[in-house]
Amino acid sequence: MSKAVTGGCQCGAVRYSVAELHDNAHLCHCRMCQKAVGNLFAALIGASKSKVSWTRGEPSVFRSSEHVERGFCEKCGTPLFYNYLSSERINLTIGSLDHPERVKPKGHDGIEGRMPWFSELATLQDYGETEAGDSAEWAAAIKRTSRQHPDHDTEEWPPAAHQTESKP
Amino acid sequence: MSLDNRPQYSGGCQCGAVRFRVEGALGEASVCHCRMCQKASGNFYLPLVSARQAKLTWTRGEPKRFRSSNHASRGFCAECGTPLTYEAPDGVALAIGAFDDPSGIAPVIQWGIEAKLPYVDEIPSLPGEDTMADVDAAAFLADLVSYQHPDHDTEEWPPEAKR
Repeated sequence: MSKAVTGGCQCGAVRYSVAELHDNAHLCHCRMCQKAVGNLFAALIGASKSKVSWTRGEPSVFRSSEHVERGFCEKCGTPLFYNYLSSERINLTIGSLDHPERVKPKGHDGIEGRMPWFSELATLQDYGETEAGDSAEWAAAIKRTSRQHPDHDTEEWPPAAHQTESKP
Repeated sequence: MSLDNRPQYSGGCQCGAVRFRVEGALGEASVCHCRMCQKASGNFYLPLVSARQAKLTWTRGEPKRFRSSNHASRGFCAECGTPLTYEAPDGVALAIGAFDDPSGIAPVIQWGIEAKLPYVDEIPSLPGEDTMADVDAAAFLADLVSYQHPDHDTEEWPPEAKR
Protein backbone atom coordinates (compact mmCIF):
# COMPACT_ATOMS: atom_id res chain seq x y z
CA MET A 1 0.00 0.00 0.00
CA SER A 2 1.28 3.44 -0.85
CA LYS A 3 1.99 5.71 2.07
CA ALA A 4 0.89 8.74 0.08
CA VAL A 5 -2.01 10.71 1.51
CA THR A 6 -4.00 13.66 0.23
CA GLY A 7 -5.86 16.52 1.80
CA GLY A 8 -6.98 20.10 1.40
CA CYS A 9 -9.26 22.86 2.51
CA GLN A 10 -13.06 22.83 2.72
CA CYS A 11 -13.69 24.61 -0.58
CA GLY A 12 -11.03 22.67 -2.50
CA ALA A 13 -9.08 25.69 -3.78
CA VAL A 14 -6.00 24.31 -2.01
CA ARG A 15 -5.08 20.62 -2.23
CA TYR A 16 -1.95 18.79 -1.19
CA SER A 17 -0.33 15.42 -1.42
CA VAL A 18 2.16 13.96 1.06
CA ALA A 19 4.45 11.08 0.09
CA GLU A 20 4.85 9.99 3.71
CA LEU A 21 3.62 11.25 7.05
CA HIS A 22 5.68 11.17 10.21
CA ASP A 23 4.52 9.13 13.17
CA ASN A 24 3.96 12.11 15.45
CA ALA A 25 0.22 12.85 15.35
CA HIS A 26 -0.59 15.04 18.35
CA LEU A 27 -2.78 17.74 19.78
CA CYS A 28 -1.29 21.08 20.75
CA HIS A 29 -3.29 23.00 23.37
CA CYS A 30 -1.02 26.05 23.57
CA ARG A 31 -2.87 29.35 23.30
CA MET A 32 -1.27 30.20 19.96
CA CYS A 33 -2.48 26.99 18.36
CA GLN A 34 -5.91 27.42 19.95
CA LYS A 35 -6.44 30.90 18.62
CA ALA A 36 -4.90 30.15 15.22
CA VAL A 37 -7.48 27.44 14.62
CA GLY A 38 -10.36 28.90 16.69
CA ASN A 39 -10.55 25.62 18.53
CA LEU A 40 -9.71 23.89 21.79
CA PHE A 41 -6.44 22.60 20.30
CA ALA A 42 -4.68 22.15 16.97
CA ALA A 43 -4.51 18.54 15.77
CA LEU A 44 -1.27 18.13 13.83
CA ILE A 45 0.87 15.56 12.06
CA GLY A 46 4.34 16.12 10.62
CA ALA A 47 5.86 15.47 7.22
CA SER A 48 9.18 16.35 5.64
CA LYS A 49 8.74 19.53 3.64
CA SER A 50 10.36 17.77 0.68
CA LYS A 51 7.55 15.20 0.74
CA VAL A 52 4.67 17.69 0.53
CA SER A 53 3.34 18.88 -2.85
CA TRP A 54 0.68 21.55 -3.30
CA THR A 55 -1.35 19.98 -6.06
CA ARG A 56 -3.94 22.74 -6.45
CA GLY A 57 -3.60 26.36 -5.44
CA GLU A 58 -1.25 27.61 -2.74
CA PRO A 59 -1.93 28.24 0.92
CA SER A 60 -1.87 31.75 2.38
CA VAL A 61 0.24 32.22 5.48
CA PHE A 62 0.20 34.26 8.66
CA ARG A 63 3.57 34.71 10.36
CA SER A 64 2.44 34.09 13.95
CA SER A 65 5.93 34.71 15.37
CA GLU A 66 9.44 35.22 14.05
CA HIS A 67 9.91 31.45 13.86
CA VAL A 68 6.57 30.13 12.67
CA GLU A 69 4.03 30.62 9.93
CA ARG A 70 0.57 29.13 9.77
CA GLY A 71 -1.05 28.20 6.49
CA PHE A 72 -4.71 28.49 5.54
CA CYS A 73 -6.93 28.75 2.47
CA GLU A 74 -7.61 32.37 1.58
CA LYS A 75 -10.94 31.41 -0.03
CA CYS A 76 -12.52 29.39 2.79
CA GLY A 77 -10.22 29.79 5.79
CA THR A 78 -9.45 26.15 6.58
CA PRO A 79 -6.29 26.02 8.73
CA LEU A 80 -3.79 23.81 6.88
CA PHE A 81 -0.43 23.77 8.66
CA TYR A 82 2.02 24.91 11.31
CA ASN A 83 5.42 25.61 9.77
CA TYR A 84 8.46 26.00 12.02
CA LEU A 85 10.47 27.89 9.41
CA SER A 86 13.95 26.58 10.19
CA SER A 87 12.82 22.96 10.46
CA GLU A 88 12.78 20.48 7.61
CA ARG A 89 9.41 19.37 8.94
CA ILE A 90 5.97 20.89 8.48
CA ASN A 91 2.96 19.95 10.62
CA LEU A 92 -0.32 19.55 8.75
CA THR A 93 -3.75 19.85 10.36
CA ILE A 94 -5.19 16.36 10.75
CA GLY A 95 -8.74 17.49 9.99
CA SER A 96 -7.65 18.71 6.54
CA LEU A 97 -6.49 15.22 5.57
CA ASP A 98 -8.96 13.36 3.38
CA HIS A 99 -8.80 10.49 5.87
CA PRO A 100 -8.18 11.81 9.36
CA GLU A 101 -9.50 8.57 10.83
CA ARG A 102 -6.28 6.84 9.72
CA VAL A 103 -4.07 9.09 11.83
CA LYS A 104 -4.41 8.34 15.49
CA PRO A 105 -2.84 10.91 17.81
CA LYS A 106 -0.19 9.82 20.30
CA GLY A 107 0.02 12.63 22.79
CA HIS A 108 -0.71 16.17 23.94
CA ASP A 109 1.54 19.21 23.75
CA GLY A 110 1.06 22.63 25.31
CA ILE A 111 -1.03 21.32 28.17
CA GLU A 112 -0.59 24.59 30.09
CA GLY A 113 -3.34 25.86 27.77
CA ARG A 114 -5.58 22.82 27.98
CA MET A 115 -9.20 23.63 28.83
CA PRO A 116 -10.04 22.60 32.40
CA TRP A 117 -12.99 20.53 31.13
CA PHE A 118 -11.17 18.97 28.20
CA SER A 119 -11.26 15.42 29.56
CA GLU A 120 -15.04 15.60 29.99
CA LEU A 121 -15.75 16.09 26.29
CA ALA A 122 -15.99 12.38 25.55
CA THR A 123 -18.71 12.02 28.15
CA LEU A 124 -20.98 14.76 26.80
CA GLN A 125 -24.49 13.97 25.81
CA ASP A 126 -24.64 12.64 22.30
CA TYR A 127 -27.19 14.34 20.06
CA GLY A 128 -27.00 11.72 17.38
CA GLU A 129 -26.15 11.71 13.74
CA THR A 130 -26.37 14.77 11.53
CA GLU A 131 -28.86 13.14 9.19
CA ALA A 132 -31.17 11.66 11.82
CA GLY A 133 -33.76 13.00 14.23
CA ASP A 134 -35.05 16.57 14.31
CA SER A 135 -32.37 17.96 12.03
CA ALA A 136 -32.75 15.35 9.25
CA GLU A 137 -34.45 17.73 6.84
CA TRP A 138 -31.87 20.43 7.44
CA ALA A 139 -29.01 17.97 6.99
CA ALA A 140 -30.50 16.67 3.74
CA ALA A 141 -30.79 20.22 2.40
CA ILE A 142 -27.14 20.87 3.28
CA LYS A 143 -26.03 17.64 1.66
CA ARG A 144 -27.81 18.47 -1.61
CA THR A 145 -26.09 21.83 -1.88
CA SER A 146 -22.78 21.30 -0.12
CA ARG A 147 -19.85 23.14 -1.65
CA GLN A 148 -17.34 21.18 0.37
CA HIS A 149 -14.71 19.53 -1.77
CA PRO A 150 -15.00 15.72 -1.64
CA ASP A 151 -12.43 13.78 0.38
CA HIS A 152 -10.36 12.83 -2.67
CA ASP A 153 -8.62 14.65 -5.52
CA THR A 154 -10.76 15.87 -8.41
CA GLU A 155 -9.93 16.77 -12.01
CA GLU A 156 -11.76 20.06 -11.90
CA TRP A 157 -13.10 22.18 -9.10
CA PRO A 158 -15.53 23.74 -8.43
CA PRO A 159 -18.03 21.79 -10.53
CA ALA A 160 -19.90 23.84 -13.10
CA ALA A 161 -23.07 23.71 -10.99
CA HIS A 162 -21.37 25.62 -8.18
CA GLN A 163 -19.89 28.24 -10.42
CA THR A 164 -23.26 29.42 -11.62
CA GLU A 165 -24.68 29.96 -8.15
CA SER A 166 -24.64 33.46 -6.81
CA LYS A 167 -22.10 34.36 -4.20
CA PRO A 168 -23.37 35.40 -0.75
CA MET B 1 -20.53 41.78 32.99
CA SER B 2 -21.65 45.06 31.50
CA LEU B 3 -23.08 47.95 33.52
CA ASP B 4 -26.61 46.64 33.13
CA ASN B 5 -25.46 43.25 34.37
CA ARG B 6 -25.49 41.50 31.04
CA PRO B 7 -22.69 39.03 30.43
CA GLN B 8 -20.09 40.29 27.99
CA TYR B 9 -17.53 38.37 25.96
CA SER B 10 -14.77 39.32 23.55
CA GLY B 11 -12.66 37.45 21.08
CA GLY B 12 -11.09 37.46 17.65
CA CYS B 13 -8.65 35.86 15.29
CA GLN B 14 -5.01 35.07 15.90
CA CYS B 15 -3.60 38.16 14.17
CA GLY B 16 -6.19 40.56 15.61
CA ALA B 17 -7.46 41.96 12.30
CA VAL B 18 -10.96 40.73 13.24
CA ARG B 19 -12.35 41.25 16.76
CA PHE B 20 -15.85 40.69 18.14
CA ARG B 21 -17.90 41.43 21.23
CA VAL B 22 -20.95 39.58 22.49
CA GLU B 23 -23.37 41.22 24.90
CA GLY B 24 -25.98 39.01 26.51
CA ALA B 25 -26.24 35.32 27.21
CA LEU B 26 -24.61 32.80 24.90
CA GLY B 27 -26.57 29.72 23.84
CA GLU B 28 -25.69 26.09 24.37
CA ALA B 29 -22.04 25.33 23.69
CA SER B 30 -21.37 22.26 21.56
CA VAL B 31 -18.83 20.39 19.50
CA CYS B 32 -19.77 19.26 16.00
CA HIS B 33 -18.07 16.17 14.54
CA CYS B 34 -19.69 16.32 11.09
CA ARG B 35 -17.27 16.11 8.18
CA MET B 36 -18.11 19.64 7.04
CA CYS B 37 -17.15 21.11 10.41
CA GLN B 38 -14.05 18.90 10.53
CA LYS B 39 -12.75 20.02 7.18
CA ALA B 40 -13.74 23.66 7.63
CA SER B 41 -11.73 23.76 10.84
CA GLY B 42 -8.94 21.35 9.82
CA ASN B 43 -9.61 19.60 13.09
CA PHE B 44 -11.27 16.63 14.81
CA TYR B 45 -14.41 18.66 15.54
CA LEU B 46 -15.55 22.25 15.69
CA PRO B 47 -16.56 23.72 19.07
CA LEU B 48 -19.26 26.35 18.59
CA VAL B 49 -21.48 28.48 20.77
CA SER B 50 -24.62 30.23 19.54
CA ALA B 51 -24.82 34.01 19.82
CA ARG B 52 -28.31 34.20 18.38
CA GLN B 53 -29.95 35.45 21.59
CA ALA B 54 -27.18 37.97 22.22
CA LYS B 55 -25.89 41.10 20.53
CA LEU B 56 -22.87 40.32 18.37
CA THR B 57 -20.72 43.24 17.21
CA TRP B 58 -17.65 43.10 14.96
CA THR B 59 -15.49 45.65 16.75
CA ARG B 60 -12.54 45.47 14.35
CA GLY B 61 -12.69 44.28 10.77
CA GLU B 62 -15.19 41.67 9.58
CA PRO B 63 -14.80 38.01 8.80
CA LYS B 64 -14.51 36.87 5.22
CA ARG B 65 -17.11 34.19 4.48
CA PHE B 66 -17.16 30.93 2.58
CA ARG B 67 -20.61 29.75 1.57
CA SER B 68 -20.22 26.07 2.46
CA SER B 69 -23.72 25.16 1.22
CA ASN B 70 -26.68 27.22 0.06
CA HIS B 71 -27.87 27.36 3.68
CA ALA B 72 -24.76 28.16 5.67
CA SER B 73 -21.64 30.31 5.57
CA ARG B 74 -18.44 30.05 7.55
CA GLY B 75 -16.56 33.15 8.58
CA PHE B 76 -12.79 33.39 9.00
CA CYS B 77 -10.08 36.03 9.12
CA ALA B 78 -8.82 36.77 5.61
CA GLU B 79 -5.44 37.82 7.03
CA CYS B 80 -4.60 34.85 9.27
CA GLY B 81 -7.27 32.21 8.59
CA THR B 82 -8.68 31.69 12.10
CA PRO B 83 -12.16 30.10 11.75
CA LEU B 84 -14.63 32.41 13.47
CA THR B 85 -18.28 31.64 12.67
CA TYR B 86 -20.85 29.18 11.44
CA GLU B 87 -23.73 31.25 10.06
CA ALA B 88 -27.13 29.67 9.35
CA PRO B 89 -30.56 31.24 8.81
CA ASP B 90 -31.34 30.81 12.52
CA GLY B 91 -28.32 32.79 13.66
CA VAL B 92 -24.58 32.97 14.12
CA ALA B 93 -22.47 30.57 16.14
CA LEU B 94 -18.95 31.55 17.15
CA ALA B 95 -15.86 29.34 17.34
CA ILE B 96 -15.19 28.77 21.03
CA GLY B 97 -11.40 28.78 20.60
CA ALA B 98 -11.57 32.31 19.19
CA PHE B 99 -12.96 33.75 22.44
CA ASP B 100 -10.42 35.53 24.63
CA ASP B 101 -11.43 33.21 27.48
CA PRO B 102 -12.69 29.95 26.02
CA SER B 103 -12.33 28.18 29.38
CA GLY B 104 -15.63 29.70 30.52
CA ILE B 105 -17.55 28.21 27.59
CA ALA B 106 -17.61 24.47 28.20
CA PRO B 107 -19.45 22.44 25.56
CA VAL B 108 -22.47 20.51 26.84
CA ILE B 109 -23.55 18.57 23.76
CA GLN B 110 -22.09 16.82 20.72
CA TRP B 111 -23.48 16.87 17.19
CA GLY B 112 -22.66 15.03 13.97
CA ILE B 113 -21.47 11.86 15.62
CA GLU B 114 -21.75 9.87 12.38
CA ALA B 115 -18.35 11.35 11.51
CA LYS B 116 -16.85 11.18 14.99
CA LEU B 117 -13.29 9.97 14.58
CA PRO B 118 -12.71 6.52 16.02
CA TYR B 119 -9.92 7.67 18.38
CA VAL B 120 -11.46 10.89 19.67
CA ASP B 121 -12.79 9.53 22.95
CA GLU B 122 -9.36 8.14 23.86
CA ILE B 123 -7.60 11.48 23.47
CA PRO B 124 -7.88 12.67 27.10
CA SER B 125 -5.93 9.60 28.22
CA LEU B 126 -2.91 10.32 25.99
CA PRO B 127 0.36 11.49 27.60
CA GLY B 128 0.74 15.29 27.78
CA GLU B 129 3.51 17.87 28.08
CA ASP B 130 3.81 21.60 28.73
CA THR B 131 5.04 23.68 25.78
CA MET B 132 8.19 24.55 27.75
CA ALA B 133 8.88 20.90 28.61
CA ASP B 134 10.03 20.11 25.10
CA VAL B 135 13.81 20.31 25.50
CA ASP B 136 14.41 20.16 21.75
CA ALA B 137 12.35 23.30 21.32
CA ALA B 138 13.80 25.24 24.28
CA ALA B 139 16.06 27.50 22.21
CA PHE B 140 13.23 28.20 19.80
CA LEU B 141 10.85 29.08 22.62
CA ALA B 142 13.37 31.14 24.59
CA ASP B 143 13.52 33.95 22.02
CA LEU B 144 10.06 33.51 20.55
CA VAL B 145 8.34 36.82 19.85
CA SER B 146 4.64 36.21 19.36
CA TYR B 147 2.70 38.19 16.75
CA GLN B 148 -0.57 36.86 18.13
CA HIS B 149 -3.08 39.45 19.28
CA PRO B 150 -3.44 39.43 23.09
CA ASP B 151 -6.55 37.90 24.66
CA HIS B 152 -8.22 41.28 25.22
CA ASP B 153 -9.26 44.26 23.12
CA THR B 154 -6.57 46.77 22.13
CA GLU B 155 -6.78 50.40 21.04
CA GLU B 156 -4.51 49.89 18.08
CA TRP B 157 -3.27 46.84 16.26
CA PRO B 158 -0.74 45.80 15.19
CA PRO B 159 1.59 47.60 17.61
CA GLU B 160 3.98 50.00 15.93
CA ALA B 161 6.96 47.69 16.35
CA LYS B 162 5.36 45.05 14.17
CA ARG B 163 4.26 47.27 11.31
